[in-house]
Amino acid sequence: MILTAVLLAVIGLGLVGWFAARGRARLLYSGRGSMHSMPSYHAWHVALWILVPALLVWGLWQAVMPGLVEGAVFASPAAAHLPTDPFQLGAIVSEARNLAADPSAASFNPEAEALVEPFRAAQTRFGLMGAALVLVVAFAGGAFAFTRVKARFRARTQVERAVLALLLIASLSAVLTTFGIVASLVFEAGLFFKDVSPIAFLTGTHWSPASTAGDNISNNFGAVPLFWGTIYIGAIIAMVVAIPLGLMSAIYLTQYATRDVRKWVKPLLEILAGIPTVVYGYFAALTVAPVIRDFAASVGMPNPSTESALAAGLVMGVMIIPFVSSMADDALAAVPRAMSDGSLALGATRSETIKRVLLPAALPGIVAGVMLAISRAIGETMIVVMAAGAAANLSANPFASMTTVTYQIVQMLTGDQEFNSPKTLSAFALGLVLFIVTLILNIVALRVVKRFREAYE
Amino acid sequence: MSNLDWNSPSVSKRLVKRHAAERRFKWIGFGAIVLSLSFLALLLVIMLKNGLAGLDYRFLTGADSTDPTVAGVWGATKGSLLTMGVTLLLSFPMGVLAAIYLEEFAPRARWIEWVEVSINNLAAVPSIIFGLLGLAVFINTLGMPRSSPLVGGLTLALMTMPVIVISGRNAIKAVPPSIREAAYGVGASKVQTTFHHVLPLALPGILTGTIIGMARALGETAPLLMIGMRAFIATPPDGLNSPSSVLPMQIFLWSDEIDKAFVQNTSAAIIVLLVFLLTMNGIAIYLRNKFEVRW
Repeated sequence: MILTAVLLAVIGLGLVGWFAARGRARLLYSGRGSMHSMPSYHAWHVALWILVPALLVWGLWQAVMPGLVEGAVFASPAAAHLPTDPFQLGAIVSEARNLAADPSAASFNPEAEALVEPFRAAQTRFGLMGAALVLVVAFAGGAFAFTRVKARFRARTQVERAVLALLLIASLSAVLTTFGIVASLVFEAGLFFKDVSPIAFLTGTHWSPASTAGDNISNNFGAVPLFWGTIYIGAIIAMVVAIPLGLMSAIYLTQYATRDVRKWVKPLLEILAGIPTVVYGYFAALTVAPVIRDFAASVGMPNPSTESALAAGLVMGVMIIPFVSSMADDALAAVPRAMSDGSLALGATRSETIKRVLLPAALPGIVAGVMLAISRAIGETMIVVMAAGAAANLSANPFASMTTVTYQIVQMLTGDQEFNSPKTLSAFALGLVLFIVTLILNIVALRVVKRFREAYE
Repeated sequence: MSNLDWNSPSVSKRLVKRHAAERRFKWIGFGAIVLSLSFLALLLVIMLKNGLAGLDYRFLTGADSTDPTVAGVWGATKGSLLTMGVTLLLSFPMGVLAAIYLEEFAPRARWIEWVEVSINNLAAVPSIIFGLLGLAVFINTLGMPRSSPLVGGLTLALMTMPVIVISGRNAIKAVPPSIREAAYGVGASKVQTTFHHVLPLALPGILTGTIIGMARALGETAPLLMIGMRAFIATPPDGLNSPSSVLPMQIFLWSDEIDKAFVQNTSAAIIVLLVFLLTMNGIAIYLRNKFEVRW
């Protein structure tokens, strides 16, 4: 509580410093060219010197204070006859902390009551110490900077250096995120692979993580049916829908449509890409899946299920259409005009030009676009969660229920189970595989696109 | 072939065939577009048909409930607003600052390439992976509260930031060098040039990209499933740390209900979500058309 007040005080101090420095700098002004920096830069310079060191100390104190408080509490006479069992001790200490913060909190251990007073005393003492420290640092920083408000002082250079540091930190955060993803996936997957051998995981064909039967749990974590389901739904069924429709839409829009048609149809297609995946999933489960089930029944499939690979794949394909279309659009636009003009001049019709000249020339770009589309489809979660089913089937029957990597990640991590069981950790191993595969697809595709662009420039 | 008779029946038959193929090809292209758009129309019509009757004042102001007739969407909407607030506050400044650095200040160095590669890849990483990151880092390592808008917003911010960086870089790149040179010419420093002249001119483009990124985050469900935002929440959240749901998650939860009456609720919630998204995209398009400068 004290520390929160101090935070406000420091910010207020920064504000005061800002105005004071600006006022002082204005007084120094004695005509054109008399000062290096404008008064507002002096103001920012002082404000930064007040805020940045003080906030750093504040954060540091926030981090170390709980330890100091606990140390003081254990040293107090009230803590002389506490149990030595670390688990029990931890419970008592955390209870006492809650009681100190809120006297009406429930208490179960009588020892905790005795600790409340020392706790409060220590918290007040260290809180005041921290507050004093932060304020001293803020004053010292401000005073130091204030003495530097001189006509010749290069305040702008200093402030700009701080701005650059801020920009740098912002761009490094992206690298930090990547690092965080890789580190957390590798770490948790590492724990998983301690129990389950990676080879059994990558080549086994039996997936039943819930069952603990069998002497070797590795045999329950064969992920091949998951990989197959993912590829079958995302890379085969969805692409069979999305590639022809997306490609033909792009060809029509770039080669045949008038400008007005293009102006209206393109944003409409983009809407397809903007619809949330949970809506597609609901559409698949509510509308598409029953139709497919009835169709399967009518062609004589024995007890078809509502959840089918086909329903999920079809809807996923529709979702991917605009993506394929815009990638194909870019690839076709990158082919030099002279190539198709030459073909038309030789007497070829438009469709012949497209089929024999434009498409072969744009092929690398289109292939790269399809790779990006596949990487998006295999990472898609909600549609398969709502329409594809949970059964790990290794079959080529599109009417069968099939499961995917993303579905199993969701399945493993929702519900109540302890965090460190192999079942839960398997989600991170699956996530790692998914991350690596999409990463490779993306890197290869982006490289192909780059090469392809350079070839025609 | 030098003395080809253009009027012979075989040549004219061939021409007729080629023109028929041409027409066929054109119609196939047209059919592809019509088919794609009819999927969109079908989806919208079904949602409107099922959900329009359920959209009333009670639905828009109520929270989740086990009784479909009193369940409403306000609790989830409020959760979405709080989550989006956290996402915007974090990803917008970070994204814009990173875009400025990479476009205007970054030295040509090896590690800058790494930053660029990692941003481009983050934009293509499946959203569920961000959920795994949020679960492992924010909840298990840092001990933040599960199901809270704070963790949801942080996770979505990590996902949205690369989108903002990429659109921001394109917008900054589109500002012509002459603007910068004019600013240098009257004595502005590099930082002043960037913040006083380049950034304001690039801002409409950056905002368009930001709105599109936020719309994507608003419709996202998978990463939030990972951090536990799928609990049944019967009261609207009253802070960043209290358990909450979000609109897409509400749709997902209701779609799982066996009670047929929830079909109407689900569809109505989808309409609400789509209205939000279309409004955001509409604003983005308006901004682009109104402020886009052709240099």
